Amino acid sequence: MKINVDYLKRFVAFDLDDAALRDLLAGLGLETAETLRIGGETVLDIETTPNRPDWLSHYGIAREIAARDPRLRFVPMDLSAIKLSAAAGDFAIRIEDASDCRRYSGCIVRDLKVKESPPDVQQLLLSLGLRPISDIVDVSNLVMMTCGQPLHIFDLEQLQGAQVRVRRARKGETLRLLDERDVALDGGHLLIADASRPLALAGIMGGLASGIGPATRHIFIESACFDPVVIRRGARSLGLKTDASYRFERGMDAEATLPALQMALLLLSRSQGRALTPSFFQDAYPRPQERPAIRLAKDFPARLTGMDIPAAACAAILDRLGFHLNDEGDHWRVTPPSHRVDAEFKEDLVEEISRIHGYDHLQGEMPLAANPVLRVDGARDTVQRLKCQLTDAGFNEVINYVFQSPEENGMTEPQGSPLTLKNPLGRDLSVMKSSLLAGLLRNTAANANQGVERVALFEIGRVFRRQGQQLLEEQRLAASVYGRQQKKDWRLPEQEFDFAWLQAQLAALGRRLRLELAFCGGTHPAFAAGCCFRVEAGGRACGWCGEIAPAFRAACKLERPVFACELDLETLLACRGDGRFRAWNRFPAARRDFTFLMAKSRRYEELRAAIGRLRPAVLESFELADVFQGPAVPEDKVSFSMSFTYRAPERTLTGDEVNGNHAEFTGRLAAALDLIQR
Amino acid sequence: MRERYLGRKKGAVSQLLARLKEFAPADKPRAGQAVNGLKAFIEASLAAALERRAGDAGGSASAWRDHSLPPSELPVGRLHLIADIQRRIEDIFLQLGYEIAVGPEIELEDYNFTKLNIPEHHPARDEQDTFFLEGHDDRVLRTHTSPMQVRYMLEHKPPLKIISPGKAFRKDDPDATHSPCFHQVEGLLVERGIRFSHLKGTLEAFCRSFFGPDIVLRFRPGYFPFTEPSAEVDISCFMCRSGQGAIQAGDCRVCKGSGWLEILGSGMVHPRVLGNCGIDPEVYSGFAFGLGIERVAMIKYGVPDLRLLYENDLRLLGQFG
Repeated sequence: MKINVDYLKRFVAFDLDDAALRDLLAGLGLETAETLRIGGETVLDIETTPNRPDWLSHYGIAREIAARDPRLRFVPMDLSAIKLSAAAGDFAIRIEDASDCRRYSGCIVRDLKVKESPPDVQQLLLSLGLRPISDIVDVSNLVMMTCGQPLHIFDLEQLQGAQVRVRRARKGETLRLLDERDVALDGGHLLIADASRPLALAGIMGGLASGIGPATRHIFIESACFDPVVIRRGARSLGLKTDASYRFERGMDAEATLPALQMALLLLSRSQGRALTPSFFQDAYPRPQERPAIRLAKDFPARLTGMDIPAAACAAILDRLGFHLNDEGDHWRVTPPSHRVDAEFKEDLVEEISRIHGYDHLQGEMPLAANPVLRVDGARDTVQRLKCQLTDAGFNEVINYVFQSPEENGMTEPQGSPLTLKNPLGRDLSVMKSSLLAGLLRNTAANANQGVERVALFEIGRVFRRQGQQLLEEQRLAASVYGRQQKKDWRLPEQEFDFAWLQAQLAALGRRLRLELAFCGGTHPAFAAGCCFRVEAGGRACGWCGEIAPAFRAACKLERPVFACELDLETLLACRGDGRFRAWNRFPAARRDFTFLMAKSRRYEELRAAIGRLRPAVLESFELADVFQGPAVPEDKVSFSMSFTYRAPERTLTGDEVNGNHAEFTGRLAAALDLIQR
Repeated sequence: MRERYLGRKKGAVSQLLARLKEFAPADKPRAGQAVNGLKAFIEASLAAALERRAGDAGGSASAWRDHSLPPSELPVGRLHLIADIQRRIEDIFLQLGYEIAVGPEIELEDYNFTKLNIPEHHPARDEQDTFFLEGHDDRVLRTHTSPMQVRYMLEHKPPLKIISPGKAFRKDDPDATHSPCFHQVEGLLVERGIRFSHLKGTLEAFCRSFFGPDIVLRFRPGYFPFTEPSAEVDISCFMCRSGQGAIQAGDCRVCKGSGWLEILGSGMVHPRVLGNCGIDPEVYSGFAFGLGIERVAMIKYGVPDLRLLYENDLRLLGQFG
């Protein structure tokens, strides 16, 4: 909202320099975005909030300044000379539905000559960013900038049937607007029409045919109050936003229509050089605006704010803002002025009182309120520890948008029907992610392109999917590695990231949660066929890991292999174990090694299962010490070295017992899996 | 060891050499070569072992060492700046006894707007350009984390004392100060007798813990549909201390000379919001506040452009967290 400071001073005679005025306005809740100098005049561009349509005029700002300082007074234009009396005539205003149009005041003025506005009016309008057109058009703009009420002025000779009707459009009706656009209308649009055709989009924009032109002689001036929602819907559906619609959709003061008409007549009389008297005037006001009074306990402002404001001070502030107070003992009944369409609750009144009193008087104090039981957030703690473990291992955390391109989504879910945004910023950001992997790969490529040799990233975030009509959000943890394990260093072996490295990190994350993760063979579109594993925790599937599929990698223009994982964080957290004390065995343990050849066709997990099945009671634990293939090992075999630890819970085992147990156990193991002892 | 393998008479190698005569004449040269190869290997291994031992004792003149060489550089990963700031903000409110409540990022339009006193066709919706989902007309990508407050109020009875951190979304083209995806932390306290001054005290405690003990707060009237009265909250500039510090306020790059930094939106929970969420506004009152984590990243850590936070370039990630 542009405010010309000199013009403002006509309505409230303050004496402040620009900086002091800006501070004063800021204290009232009006931010000055910009101070402009236009033709030697100061113009403030003020940011207003949607709850205060009354601020969208010089009157509105003047009222605020006057309320802040008891020595100042708001002085509106003197309109007493302009008389509006209902003149019977051969013209009529009809409102079809009072809920669309609360009030419609109009008058006809005849025998005008379209002129230029006086220079001071032209300059004022220019300073407010409005182009002077003709005295008639300029008057409607000047009235709106002065008191906030939008007017519309019609060329009377273009109106047919001596009437205006406020009605909804019929489907199929069209209208050519002032900006020469043709719009197709339907029942959602409110019109000003004459007997036969649409003239203007009510509260939004006039029609071209009935607009003021150089030859206009007689005019019909409209000063109305339309329903905010109808105007907003209509303007939105046509993609229009005008000064008038901006005001009407915020809610205008139904009591302002007559003074605005009077002001128009006053200003027009001045430019036309003679006192104008309307030949017709009608004020259609089907349901006069009623403002219910608000009950405000006298101590409530102090109770709600903690500020020490005496009741008398509260009353004085409300009075200066134009609120009407009825003292009823311990409370007031407060009636807001008609222009304060926002004031509805007693809390609204408290804001008014504290705002004018000054927020600077507010002293902070700590509340004593407490949650009776604090929810100890174990999951948050655990996630933080997982993050620390990942950063300690050299992973960097990234955060990506939740939306990505359909192609990126297709890399991890080629068959899925992704959740799509109705109004995305662009195709690249049009799909809600079903996996975090594409984002990680994009980040990896961006860093690799900068020549970074080691790119290890992780992200914790949501993915989205549909299940019937339900929308599910899952918290995921994804990580990826690319390039070298360490920065190049002559002391360290040069090693590229591989799957074993990533798998070890995952297992360590599992151990952090007291979970043993299992890596089971499987297929997933994001991962390469030979290196793709389903991760399980305690028998529950909780994610995938492996080498990123070559096609996925190529789509991200990455040259070297990428190893990655994506885990369902909620499942992981749900499976995590709790610490609980277990006593350990104090008797000495004995270790025996067992080296053997196993057929390549068998898997280590079979061996593990067999150990579990055949283990003697005194076998405490076992460990895989070496896996070896080489010239000494036959082509179809792999050499394993296992180390077995024997211990009895209640005594020391003798050497013979250990040897006996070991020999029998390894013998049965060898028989079960056709192992060849070396 | 030398005696055992290379000893002239009893050494294992000498004994092997002595037995060469047992080979057939045709095989003798090959066997001799093998044994000599073994001898050379043992001698080299022994020499290397001795050198290593001398090196361990620090006494070998041949082991060149320059202690001023840079140590090997092990990788150190970092948290994302936004996540790190979020964690630190959460920690402060946890110490103040708040709970963390986390809600869905795809939210019911009702919770995101209507229950928060932003009815359909309210101009306030213009200020939060909203993403909608294909085929789910009642949902939006939440434009703030406030709908979590609605969820929490619907499910719990006062006293309520929560913060809701997380991602929020608005249909803004990315530029230096806008991002279609951003992070907020919002707070809510509802109990009997909660006052505007409690809001200020709480925010003072937070801002002084987070930005510095000398921070002063300035409340300015503001507008949020879900609070009444509402306040925009500025903090005194922590860099130039509003001109009190070493830097002249006019030269300060953080506050651009104004001395103040706009940091929070806040207010007393609107009675209609309390009522919409099943809490009697005649009995209870509450305050709510919200701040943008990206904004904190920009002013506290000097990140000049919001887009940098979502590029995930290691040159930025490596600087924080």
